[in-house]
Amino acid sequence: MELIFGGAYQGKTQYAAQKYGLTDADIFTCEGLDLDPDARCIRHLERFARACAEEGKDAREEFARRAPAAICLIADDISCGIVPLDRLERTWRETSGRLLSSLAAQADAVTRIFCGLPLEVKP
Amino acid sequence: MTYFLSGGSKSGKSMLAQKIAKSLSAPHYYLATLRPTDAEDRAIVARHLQERDGWGFDTIECECGILSALELAPENGTFLLDSVTALLANEMFRPDGSVDRTAGERLASDLVRFSQLAQNVVFVADFVFSDGRGYGALTESYRRALGHIGVKLAQACGNVAELSASIPIWYKGGWQP
Repeated sequence: MELIFGGAYQGKTQYAAQKYGLTDADIFTCEGLDLDPDARCIRHLERFARACAEEGKDAREEFARRAPAAICLIADDISCGIVPLDRLERTWRETSGRLLSSLAAQADAVTRIFCGLPLEVKP
Repeated sequence: MTYFLSGGSKSGKSMLAQKIAKSLSAPHYYLATLRPTDAEDRAIVARHLQERDGWGFDTIECECGILSALELAPENGTFLLDSVTALLANEMFRPDGSVDRTAGERLASDLVRFSQLAQNVVFVADFVFSDGRGYGALTESYRRALGHIGVKLAQACGNVAELSASIPIWYKGGWQP
């Protein structure tokens, strides 16, 4: 499994689609706690983390429980702003960071996308 | 030669861009993009002018319509465009208060065209994409447009770097002093 992350609007999905020959039907876009276990690619994992934060759940456990078979996971990096005053916003950032760290440890490859260009950060 | 540099605030983008531009063939043109609206902006312009003093750039005021700069200057030579961020703001948020939502697409194609026409160009942009703040719809559409332009310019340019602490990470090509 490859974890692809980077800033918003950096062409991450397009990069993954090209690399793995993904069609729209292969790509599942997170909106809440649901994950499609059969999707080849899952994107906007930060939204899944947000839903976990709202429910007071550990995103790592929730993700593992759903055991998606995706070959490619995509997340916006939301970690670089000022610590938010709002407790939920803070929890979201932390939940998202822990989920990404955990997935990066499990991944065969981790790639950061900058302006559509890849930086291989693992292996 | 075409360069695209992006990075956070005060990451050394402008200084590296000036060094790269000066290492390329003369004449050297600085495309000034900031439309000053208050005393703080005017202070920034004054500081930038002082920092460029003695570098030998001819300044071309270019708040909008970037391709028109090529009519004022010969295409052979080197252009420094600092910054794409300000240029998009000028194109998108008009002085009369209106918002041009097509500005992102138009500017992306204008800048790619510029990179093809000019002999040498160094583009500078700001990286504003890695926080989790919820911005309003207007700011979000500006961020989306700036992201789109970054992807297009990184594709079009032969040399692409991300700056942090004045240190470039080259995603494509490179530059040696």
